[in-house]
Amino acid sequence: MSDTTKQSGVWTAVKELPGNVWSSIFRNPLPSSDLERASTSFTNFFLHIHPVKVHKNTLRPIYTMGLGLISFFLFLILVVTGVLLMFYYVPATTQAYDRMLDLRGSVAFGIFLRNMHRWSAHGMVAVVFLHLCRVFFTGAYKRPREFNWVLGVLMLLVTLFLSFTGYLLPWDQLAFWAITVGTSIAGYAPLVGQQIKFLLLGDTTVGQEALLRFYVLHVAVLPSTLVLLIAVHFWRIRKDGGLSRPEKTGTEALTMRSEPAPNVAVSVTAVPVAKKRLYGLQGFVRGPFTKIGNVPDDSVFSWPNLLIAELFVFVMTVAIILCVSLLFNAPLEEPVNVMHPPNPAKAPWYFLGLQEMVSYSAFWGGVGIPGLFVALLLGVPYFDRNPKGVGRWFARERLLANTIFLTLVLVNVIFIVIGTFFRGPNWSFVSPW
Amino acid sequence: MRLALAIASFVVLIVHGVVFYDQFFYRWERQQTAYFDQARSLTKNEQERAELDARKPRIEQFIVTSFGDTRVDRCGTCHIAADDPRFQNHAQPLRTHSYSAALGDTLRNGHWERRHKFSDFGCTVCHDGQGRGLENKYSHGEDTYWPEPLLGYVTQANWRTEFKPHLLGVEYMEANCAQCHTGDNFAGTPNANRGRKLFFAMNCYGCHRIDGLSEGTLAPDLTEAGKKFRVDYLWESIVDPRANLATSFMPKFNLTDDEVKALVIFLKSRHGMNFAETSLDRYRATHVSETKPETVTTKNAVLTSRMEAGKGEQLVSEHACTACHKLGARDGGIAPDLSFEGLLKDDDWLVEHFRSPRSRIPDSIMPAFRFPDEEFHAMAGYLAGLRTPPRITAPNETFQTLCARCHGQKGDGQGVTALYLDPAPRDLTKAAFMNSKPNERFVHSIEGGVPGTSMPAWGKVLNEQQASGVLEYVRATFVHEPQRPLKAHKVPETNPVAASSSSAAHGEQLFLQRCAGCHGRKADGKGPNSLDIVPRPRNLRNSAFVNALPDQRMFDSILYGVQGTAMPAWIDYGLSQNDVGDLINFIRSVNPKSTGSQYASR
Repeated sequence: MSDTTKQSGVWTAVKELPGNVWSSIFRNPLPSSDLERASTSFTNFFLHIHPVKVHKNTLRPIYTMGLGLISFFLFLILVVTGVLLMFYYVPATTQAYDRMLDLRGSVAFGIFLRNMHRWSAHGMVAVVFLHLCRVFFTGAYKRPREFNWVLGVLMLLVTLFLSFTGYLLPWDQLAFWAITVGTSIAGYAPLVGQQIKFLLLGDTTVGQEALLRFYVLHVAVLPSTLVLLIAVHFWRIRKDGGLSRPEKTGTEALTMRSEPAPNVAVSVTAVPVAKKRLYGLQGFVRGPFTKIGNVPDDSVFSWPNLLIAELFVFVMTVAIILCVSLLFNAPLEEPVNVMHPPNPAKAPWYFLGLQEMVSYSAFWGGVGIPGLFVALLLGVPYFDRNPKGVGRWFARERLLANTIFLTLVLVNVIFIVIGTFFRGPNWSFVSPW
Repeated sequence: MRLALAIASFVVLIVHGVVFYDQFFYRWERQQTAYFDQARSLTKNEQERAELDARKPRIEQFIVTSFGDTRVDRCGTCHIAADDPRFQNHAQPLRTHSYSAALGDTLRNGHWERRHKFSDFGCTVCHDGQGRGLENKYSHGEDTYWPEPLLGYVTQANWRTEFKPHLLGVEYMEANCAQCHTGDNFAGTPNANRGRKLFFAMNCYGCHRIDGLSEGTLAPDLTEAGKKFRVDYLWESIVDPRANLATSFMPKFNLTDDEVKALVIFLKSRHGMNFAETSLDRYRATHVSETKPETVTTKNAVLTSRMEAGKGEQLVSEHACTACHKLGARDGGIAPDLSFEGLLKDDDWLVEHFRSPRSRIPDSIMPAFRFPDEEFHAMAGYLAGLRTPPRITAPNETFQTLCARCHGQKGDGQGVTALYLDPAPRDLTKAAFMNSKPNERFVHSIEGGVPGTSMPAWGKVLNEQQASGVLEYVRATFVHEPQRPLKAHKVPETNPVAASSSSAAHGEQLFLQRCAGCHGRKADGKGPNSLDIVPRPRNLRNSAFVNALPDQRMFDSILYGVQGTAMPAWIDYGLSQNDVGDLINFIRSVNPKSTGSQYASR
């Protein structure tokens, strides 16, 4: 008797295997009720980064354009492609260029991986900057989000530094001389400039030491710093009450239509909850969105609305990066020739504005004004204490701040354009036509 | 949003498909498969067929370390039939690499045995190109960033179009043969050998240094020219010396295309390194025997002239002076005519000039050769013996024979040598200048020459009457304005200001304020404005010239300017006679009287 029962027991187990495996991993069914939708934020490791409900404004494409998400997803693409590239790259001056040739010519998907990495990197620098602009123009750095803004500025600097350190790694003429220019600009800082330059390069000129240091910074130190900052940045988003939104002045303040907004996948119906039900942990958590079944406000469930929005941004980002990588090859110029600087030698594009300014004044252009900009950026939420104008693009109340910021941004962009197209040998003014 | 999501997902899928396709059906795979198919049809037995069937397309590479940096040559991936003798008439890339005795291959029992096996040499050490590439564009070096395109087979897009046809041809590969086969007369490198001979015959050795061959100091070191530069740059540097440096004084030698090609191949073979040498060879060469660089006097007789051997004459022929100068039957077209040098210069001048051309003519581009003194004396003696005057009767003949070489057929200072002389030959069509000086001045220049310049003293060739005749001819033919009586300028005959250090100091101060813009801070005529002025500002450190200049003439030039040039009349700009006196004292103070020193003018 024991035999048959045991056999039937085993056989049943085998038949039920798929179901059992599945349910051991996914313990809750796909949500079909509001309670289940709400609980996704508690029952899933990855989804608990989401609040249970988000404000409708958060999901409006025109409001954020998903720039923060795009930055994050580009970072993920960079990490994945970067790790794959790490399997083939060697940070030695004698081998780096040959490895790049191999990646281009013999490694399967090598050229594609490299393209994805390069264009995502440039894209991330640009998108991070646009995200900064968006947050500024919507006044989303104001109280209580000042520290999040500071974190963001720090992440901008880390992103620029990541891009800069990665720029050197191909060890071709483009890389070598761009980094020579960039580190020389750093050397103009007063008092500590030369020491900073030596710290960066490990030597007085760009060479094997610089390559190794930049590699370590690029693959280990800076990504982990950035991950940490991203984590705190996301944490603060939750704790500061989600993304900024316009103040509620009745329903007219929002540009919501009476029918559910088109990006909402599931219509929300508010149902008064029976008072006797208490939802344990929620009662202890302070914050705007732990109200289930409350009076209708302008929030929607994260599942599935926020998730679909994020998925959409992710797929769009990946699609665009894939297309761009298919069409355009990352540059690889001649092997490094220390005796042969190109004329002009140009820094990477995001530092060309700096280089253009440096051509007028080494200290002010390279250190003074950029330092001033960074200091202003860091300080702006602490100087601008006016609580008005948050949650709207180009709010009237913030005309002065927006104008100043836009002007400085445009000046920087113009300098970058001049540095890219209008500067030729000996940094003379040339016409690109 | 869902629609956009769907479309974007679709795009992602499509791109993945395209990438997978692109990365999985390489051209080299198709070519290898084609090779396997065709080889199978040529097989003679089952075993071969079975072996072929078992082969799958894969990357074929040779890793070669004996030639400097590690080379990874993957050329055999596409050129997979390179060692298969049955594919000799096939189209590339599936063609057998040629076998020939010239390449050192041997024919044994009807089978060729390759001397330069691919497993030992790889491919790029002979052919250049990019070993690691697997696509034509990269592996053949067609991409403009690759510094070593396939020699003789590939030109790059940014090369000048007029050069491209000259830069193709399998003979360019001799440059790489010569990396190991460095012998002068190696049969496999005729162009490189010719190039080496031309390097001496065209006097490149005088200015350029190549380790082990020459010691020139005036021009870039070419020891590693082949390693550093591509063939188009080498070609351009020879046929258009000012293409990359506008102030280069390298002459444009009169060479045929074949000669340029031979030179380019020779220069391309200069890698600064002989791969066939072992480190022991090198040690022996540098430490054990004191081998001086191969002196030019030994074996490089190049000229075909059958002149009789006076030692000096032989030396002049061996040292390839006619690469620039004119002498006898040959004319380099770059430097003065030496055919009757004995009538123009004396022995001492010639020897001093040989030892250091710039001691006599400060801005000369003639290199200071490093021959032993006896050779200088022998050659000077030979030149001093050339005393047969040219046969000339009429002034126009005189001008054509003696003057046109420098002053130009049209008297405009654009003779064949004009580019290479500093100071440049006077433009005789400049009426403003020609009509501002008295005839005696010109006759004096013709008869006595202009010291410190290349204008010789024609006194022993032309008498005063002939000189005046030439002057009249020049005025009539080239100066298109009639002479007018000259107004005398009031200038002192000698400098009234005493030559003291304070006067010279004041003169220096004035000089830096007023004159340095054209004449340069060092008074060498190389001020910042000098490149835009024709004729160039005078080099005031040209001691031979300045010391022969009377004070009166200096006063005249400074106070009243030099018509037809950019030298202004400084009397109009507030310089007094005393100021000019100080200036003259300053100028004379930087031109010491001693005449024998090599460094007199620098």
